[in-house]
Amino acid sequence: MSYKKFLIFVAPLLFLSLFLPRDGFPQESANCLACHSAMKGRLETSGGRLIELNVDTDRFRTSVHGSLSCTDCHMRFSENPHSLPSAPVPSSVLSVSSKVSSKHTVDPVAAAACNNCHEDIYKKVLDSVHGRNITEKNKTDGALCLDCHGSPHYITRSTDPGSRVSRKNQVETCGKCHGDEKIIEKYSLEENVMESFEESFHGRKLHLGHMRAPVCSSCHNAHDIRTKDDPASPVFGKNKLETCGKCHKGANEKFIPAITHKPAGPIPHYAEIGLIFLTMGVFAFVVLHVLLEAFSDIRDAIFRKGREE
Amino acid sequence: MSRTNTTAQEIPQEIERFNIIFRIQHILMFSTFLILSFTGWGLKYAYEPQGLSSIWIRIWGGAETAGLIHRIAGVTMLVDFIWHVLYLGYLFATKRMTIDLKTTVIPLPKDVFDVIKNFMYFLGLSKEKARFGKYSYAQKFDYWAVFWGMFIIGFSGYALAFPMQVSYIIPEFTTGWIWQLLGIMHSDEALLAIVFILFWHFYNEHLKPEVFPMSWIWITGKISTEKLKHHHPIEYEMLFPDEAKKDKKE
Repeated sequence: MSYKKFLIFVAPLLFLSLFLPRDGFPQESANCLACHSAMKGRLETSGGRLIELNVDTDRFRTSVHGSLSCTDCHMRFSENPHSLPSAPVPSSVLSVSSKVSSKHTVDPVAAAACNNCHEDIYKKVLDSVHGRNITEKNKTDGALCLDCHGSPHYITRSTDPGSRVSRKNQVETCGKCHGDEKIIEKYSLEENVMESFEESFHGRKLHLGHMRAPVCSSCHNAHDIRTKDDPASPVFGKNKLETCGKCHKGANEKFIPAITHKPAGPIPHYAEIGLIFLTMGVFAFVVLHVLLEAFSDIRDAIFRKGREE
Repeated sequence: MSRTNTTAQEIPQEIERFNIIFRIQHILMFSTFLILSFTGWGLKYAYEPQGLSSIWIRIWGGAETAGLIHRIAGVTMLVDFIWHVLYLGYLFATKRMTIDLKTTVIPLPKDVFDVIKNFMYFLGLSKEKARFGKYSYAQKFDYWAVFWGMFIIGFSGYALAFPMQVSYIIPEFTTGWIWQLLGIMHSDEALLAIVFILFWHFYNEHLKPEVFPMSWIWITGKISTEKLKHHHPIEYEMLFPDEAKKDKKE
C-alpha cells in the first residue's frame, strides 16, 4: 500500500477516534456526564439546600472513584434524564442513611452509599466522636466522609499531595473546625490546638517538609477518632505511651508531657518574659556601645588627629 | 651590635596570646556556632518569611538532614566546651596558669569602671580611654557570654536532641513544664547569642577600623608588642616593666 493510500484510509479513522468516549467511562456515567459536565451553578431543592450541578469530568476521571458509575452512589436515580429519585435502595444502605439523615438532608442515600465499599471505616466513623455527634446528638457539625475528604467525585489517595487529608493539607483540613472559634465554643473543644501544633517541633518540622513529622491523625487516629477523655482514645492517659512510642521508641511517662496542646504554664511563661528582657537589655547595651564607639572613632579621626597615645 | 642599645630586657617583636589548643577550641566553637545558627534559624522561623525558611532548610539537605547536622554540630560544640573547661583545670592544677588581676579573664569591679570611663570618652566627657590588662571588658563579655550560652542553650539543646535519655534523669515534678521551658530557653537564648555575636563580636573583632577585616590573633595566636602596648597597656607594663618606665620618661 502506498503512503498516500494509507493516509486516505487511516486519517479519517484517526479523526473519528476523537469522538470515542474517553478512557471508557461506564456507559451510564458518560450519559450523566454529558449534561453534568456542562452544567454550571447550583440548584435549590425544595428543602432550601443548594446542590452543585457541575461535575468536572477530568478530575472525576483521575479520582479514586473515577471508574464507578454514578448510580453506584446515587442509587435512587434510575432514568436518564432522571425524574424524581425513586429507585429501590438496599437495606444496608438505608439503615446507614437513616442515621446520617440529620446531616445530609438532601440525599442521605448518596452519603450512606460510601458504606457499600467502605463498611469497616464507615462503622468506625459512626462510632467515633465525629459520627456520634450526628447519630446521637442529631447535630450537623460532626465530620462525615465529605467534610474531610471533600467531594466524593474528586477524592484522591491520601498519599497524593493534593488530597485534603494528605500530610501537606491534613492539618488545615482539621483546622476548619478545630480552629473555628464558634465550633470550639459550641462543643467546648480544646482551644489553641492549631496554634500549639504550629508552635511545636512537630508542626515546624512538618511545615519544613520533614518526612516523619506527625500530622493530626498520627496521634489522634483518622476515622476512629475519640475525645481525649475516652479511654479508647490514643491520647488518653497511659495510651500515650504506645502512641508516642510509635515514633519515639521507649517513650516513658516523663517523656510524653513534652508534646501537648495545653498552653504553657507559669514557669515557662515567666522564664520567657525574663529572657526577652535579658535579650533586649544586652541588645540595647551592645548597640549603644558599638554606635558610640564608632562615632567617637570618627570624631577622633577628624578632630583629634595626631593626638593618639 | 652596639652597647648603647642594650637594655635590661630584650623586647620581642610579638608575644603569644593564645596557644594552639585555645586556637583550636576557638575554631571549633565558631564553626559549630555558625552551622548551628544557620540550621537552627530555619526551624525557629519556620513559618516566616513565607516559604523562605523551607527553601533555606532545603539548601541544608531538608529537615531531616538539617536536624542531623544541627545535632552533630551541637554535640561537637558541647565537647569543645567541656574540653576547654578540663584544659583550664589542667592548666591551674599544673600551675601553668595562675590568677593575676592584671591578666585574668574573671570580671572585676575595674571592668565596670572601665565601661563607665569609655562611655565618658565616647561622649566627649573625658579625654582618656580606659586602660586594659590582658582582657578588656569587651573581651571578658565575649568570653563569659559563651559560658552563659553553653549552660542555657547547650544543655537545653542536649535535652531536646536526646529527650528519651534525658527523660530518665529529670525529676517527676518538673515534667509538666520542663520541656516547654527547655524549648523556650534554647530558642530565645540562641537568638540572643546570634544578636550578640553579630553586633558585639563582629564589630569589635572584625568591623572596627583598627582591626578590619579581622584581628588575626585567632589564627596566629600572636600579638605584636606594639599592639599589646596600645590595647593592653597594663599587661605590657607588667611584662616589660623597664621598657614601660623608659617610655614614660620620654
